[in-house]
Amino acid sequence: MSEGASVELAVDHEHGLHLRPAAQFVRLAARYKATIRVTNVTRGGGREANARSLLEVTALGVDRGHRVRLIATGDDAEEAIAALAALIRSGFRASPRSP
Amino acid sequence: MSVGLVLVAHSRRLAEGLLELIESVTQGGVPVAVAAGGEEGALGTSAAAIAEALEALPAPEGVVVLMDLGSAVLSAETALDLVPALRGRVRVADAPFVEGAVAAAVEAGLGSGLEAVLAAAEAARAQPKLP
Repeated sequence: MSEGASVELAVDHEHGLHLRPAAQFVRLAARYKATIRVTNVTRGGGREANARSLLEVTALGVDRGHRVRLIATGDDAEEAIAALAALIRSGFRASPRSP
Repeated sequence: MSVGLVLVAHSRRLAEGLLELIESVTQGGVPVAVAAGGEEGALGTSAAAIAEALEALPAPEGVVVLMDLGSAVLSAETALDLVPALRGRVRVADAPFVEGAVAAAVEAGLGSGLEAVLAAAEAARAQPKLP
């Protein structure tokens, strides 16, 4: 059985989803079994990143104030979306480590 | 302990700069060694230095080697000839130096195995830089 969840929100980190915040994001995403895709709504263009790939996430070009959409499918999709949205909303002050 | 990385470059400063970048994303959780530069600070690569780095790295689950330019491949291959026992747990990545090493470091930091870390490095070849 597969569940789905999604969220759209703005990234307010002063550097957007650049290297270090993106690495935090990827490490957190990797804790979940769900498949999580990320798009840059502000920039558009249709490119999707796998939330587990640092290079794909950084190549979305998410600058401060850009809106991103996270779409997850899988058993823990809702938990994954909630955790990733909380990380973004915290301004990446949380420092998740992989288990 | 995760899979380790060895950064092979013709310039020590180039490899040390990449090491700094990697440490900012892995928070020190991934063993990384630098084998860069020739004798007496000259530009170049050294098979002996690479072999030494491979042997010294505390990474029993394996090591992925990243290189700055294709001319480092021969040194890396010679290093493996010097220490044949390493061959089974060392993979030489056909990947861009910076993106490949950063992607491999993140993957290793997630606790992934040797082949997955190698695949993450080599996937960087196909990753466009511009959004």
